[in-house]
Amino acid sequence: MRLELEIEGHTHQIEANRPDPAGLWRFRVDGQPIDADVCLIRPGVLSLLVDGQSHRIVVDLDPNGFSLHLGTTRIPYRIGDPRSLRFRRSHAGTDAPVAIKASMPGRIVRVLVEKGAAIAAHQGILVIEAMKMQNELKSPRDGSVADIRVSPGDTVSTGDILVLIE
Amino acid sequence: MLRKILIANRGEIALRILRACRELGISTVAVFSDADRAAPHVLEADEAYRLGPAPAVDSYLRGDLILHFARRSGADAIHPGYGFLSENADFARACEQAGIKFIGPPSTAMRALGSKTNARQVADQAGLPRTPGSVHGLASPEEAAEVAETVGYPVMLKAAAGGGGKGMRAIVRAEDLAEAFIAAQSEAERAFGSDEVYIEKLIERPRHIEIQLIADEHGHCVSLGERECSVQRRHQKVIEEAPSAVVSHELRRRMGEAAVRLALSAGYTNAGTVEFLVDAGQNFYFLEMNTRLQVEHPVTELVTGHDLVHLQIRIAQGEPLPFAQEEIQLRGHAIECRVYAEDPENGFLPSPGRITRLIQPGGPGIREDSGIYEGWVVPADYDPMLSKLIAFAPTRELAIARMLRALDEYVIAGIRSNLGLFRRVLRDADFCAAHIDTGYLDRFLAQYRPGDTSAPHDSTAAVAAAALIEVTRNNNAVTSTASLQPSGNWKASARREAVGGINHKGRHG
Repeated sequence: MRLELEIEGHTHQIEANRPDPAGLWRFRVDGQPIDADVCLIRPGVLSLLVDGQSHRIVVDLDPNGFSLHLGTTRIPYRIGDPRSLRFRRSHAGTDAPVAIKASMPGRIVRVLVEKGAAIAAHQGILVIEAMKMQNELKSPRDGSVADIRVSPGDTVSTGDILVLIE
Repeated sequence: MLRKILIANRGEIALRILRACRELGISTVAVFSDADRAAPHVLEADEAYRLGPAPAVDSYLRGDLILHFARRSGADAIHPGYGFLSENADFARACEQAGIKFIGPPSTAMRALGSKTNARQVADQAGLPRTPGSVHGLASPEEAAEVAETVGYPVMLKAAAGGGGKGMRAIVRAEDLAEAFIAAQSEAERAFGSDEVYIEKLIERPRHIEIQLIADEHGHCVSLGERECSVQRRHQKVIEEAPSAVVSHELRRRMGEAAVRLALSAGYTNAGTVEFLVDAGQNFYFLEMNTRLQVEHPVTELVTGHDLVHLQIRIAQGEPLPFAQEEIQLRGHAIECRVYAEDPENGFLPSPGRITRLIQPGGPGIREDSGIYEGWVVPADYDPMLSKLIAFAPTRELAIARMLRALDEYVIAGIRSNLGLFRRVLRDADFCAAHIDTGYLDRFLAQYRPGDTSAPHDSTAAVAAAALIEVTRNNNAVTSTASLQPSGNWKASARREAVGGINHKGRHG
């Protein structure tokens, strides 16, 4: 099976072959062979032995997509189909608008930017109150405010688009 | 003797109290909201009763309903835990009138000390040094401005009924005061049902050091040493330790004596904590008294060897304190990390939701007071604390090493947590050297950039793991988050794989 994987800012071409009876998987990552001894500890928890190095992997999935815990590091990743290269178009470019979404139910306290305003990465966009605490959402990158879809006092649900940055 | 105790709380503290009751042979009654039907405290209690909908005002703050269930279940005492009704003197009084023992101070002492403004008046009478500022609630932004001008900026706005940093604001400039005053009032009203706020002068770069007290109902009060709680974010404690690296034997004695004086002057009984700010010159200022068990009580338990919840219950039964001040000795060092469902990489946004995978640490010197399990859905309705991870070792250095080891074992998936932040703070040179004050964490976070949280790791393994997860995804077991059980053919092959792995590698541990 072939697939394309984007992880930590790099795209890799992967070829994966089914394991032999002992649980040994053979991968080719960008042409380089990797043998991994895989043991499923329980659903979502894997042990990987690669070149004698022991790794504990825990699969994670939240509204932002897939990630894995490798030891103490949480690593988000994306899978692309090499034929469509979907994720390249939706993710790799920086000119596509980015939607700032509510990651949990809450109430909008303040909107700190105006439509059309230029903003910098990490600049505050709006203040949302949830779990009795007020939190400032920040812009993930430089850009401008393409649209503001909420007003102070609005109640929002998980996944609601609050602001678009382009 | 108490036979049955109703625990008027939720989360890790409800479970912690429940365990103490079990150890003392006392039956337990839990109460719960609709969001907590599947919560651990409900599962573990002998009896459990529904209070109402998720919002705290409809459930855990319903003193009338809680008393009703105490009577109905035949409970002879109520333990309020921390937060919710724990510092509500009206509720304590209602328990007294109903003939149900409230495990805490008498309502009169709570009224005198529980309100922070009243407590400042009591501290003045008992001759404790305190921070300059108001000793009464402020009626308006104008009155607040007057007090702030008198003591001089910067000042702190605080909720008189407050705790946990809610309703609290630091104000540097006079023009920010009015808006902050309104915000603090409304936050205080929502969190505590009282909008009384007051002002005190902000002490620059203080340490937050508090004294644990335990007092029986026969006039004995003993200090159980201090806790260093300077690592805070938004005035909320994040890491606590005992003892403090900067408190000498002499300072500990003086702070302990002051705290005991305050408690005795107010007729205080049961467990309580007197909070102080300590400046660079080792001067201490009375801040407030918490008339309840504290979140961070385990670090004191570890270094003194005394179980505070056991003591609370025994005192409530009328027993005298089983030790005198001279018998209290501190041994070793304990550190606590408050594990929260929040995302340090995304503005500390709360992260409620289902815990899809959970791997908790263990081993020597590790204690975890947890209110979660794998599959539990962390509700959005309450404080997002998941658990308290506590490390105990002979020295501070070893306690840090032990905590880091435990943090590295810990995995929480499905929601975000602040475990990664602790791994970084506990490796920070200033923290390790105990160069901390209440502004330490904010300064640390100012240099903390989203995305640079990765520990060194093997990217080959990461790529292989991601590929593996994808290739096996359709089998729905490696990646399944909805179903926690493997099923069908995958189950058989997973078992074969797991068994094969063990047989070949002999990894029985």
